Amino acid sequence: MSSALNLSHEPVTKIPHGKLVMWAFLASELMFFSGFFGAFIVLRNSNYPIFGAGSNHLNVPLALLNTFLLIGSSLTMALCIHNLRLQRRGNAKLFMGLTLVGAFGFLVVKTIEYSAKWNDHLFPGQSEHTTFYSFYFLMTGFHAMHVIAGIIPMIYIFSKMYTKGGYDHPVKVEVLGLYWHFVDLMWIFIFPALYLMIPFHGGGGHH
Amino acid sequence: MSHEHSAAATTHNLGHDAHAHEDHGIKDYLKVFYALCFFTLLTVGAAMMEFPDALGHWKDTLHVTVGVIIAVIKVVMVMYIFMHLKFDHPLLRLMVYIPVFLFFVMCFGLNFLETWDYSYVTR
Repeated sequence: MSSALNLSHEPVTKIPHGKLVMWAFLASELMFFSGFFGAFIVLRNSNYPIFGAGSNHLNVPLALLNTFLLIGSSLTMALCIHNLRLQRRGNAKLFMGLTLVGAFGFLVVKTIEYSAKWNDHLFPGQSEHTTFYSFYFLMTGFHAMHVIAGIIPMIYIFSKMYTKGGYDHPVKVEVLGLYWHFVDLMWIFIFPALYLMIPFHGGGGHH
Repeated sequence: MSHEHSAAATTHNLGHDAHAHEDHGIKDYLKVFYALCFFTLLTVGAAMMEFPDALGHWKDTLHVTVGVIIAVIKVVMVMYIFMHLKFDHPLLRLMVYIPVFLFFVMCFGLNFLETWDYSYVTR
């Protein structure tokens, strides 16, 4: 019997190192996004008509669908971790699969949205749409990249779950889960900021 | 020896907690999920609403204010339940509060300064 100190987690707080590092990374990610949000809010308030006109072209029902897809995949990720901890491999596999479906669904909807914007000539460089659509593509684009970055380890873990040994690292999935919930959190801010800042009747800010 | 004991005790506690709160955990997750869906629809509803003229300049800004408040409620729920902040060591919360505070300073604090400055100059 060894009497070695268990170094898989921080001795005082009992938090696994991976989780601690992920929280530190998410803190830096938050600072990354706060630059966009800060600039967006300041410019929006001094260019209200331009931002209002840009925002009125956005497809709110599609963004709402995307919100539900991300919230749903956040739930299934939490349930996957829960089941993995309880050694219920079948359930964990199912919920990881559902999380992937939500993530891919989000990207599909995003692609539909982007191509519609492209066809309607709503992108930077189109005179009056430059300012708003720079922010639109910058913020949703970086967010979509985060979704893609989350999908890659998810596919790895999901495929490992199909091997004979299964995937028995609930802490690693928990760390990935933290990242995935963060992606959801950023969308919770991006959705109202870009899509809903002008009332639908279109009157606000145009007088 | 004591280290080994505490490590074993931790493992035991983790296993015990996982079983004891098994269904409790799923219920919490589902509750948060339903609340997130409800608050999302509420944000859209607030954005579609036309507020009465009696509110003055708040008429044009109230939907933004409501949107931000709802977003903060949603964020707190996700962080405490989905991201397990409620169940982890309190020291971790400190590490999370500081960047979240800075995020709001960057987004809103600076913005208030800016707004105040412009109205002051153009008055």
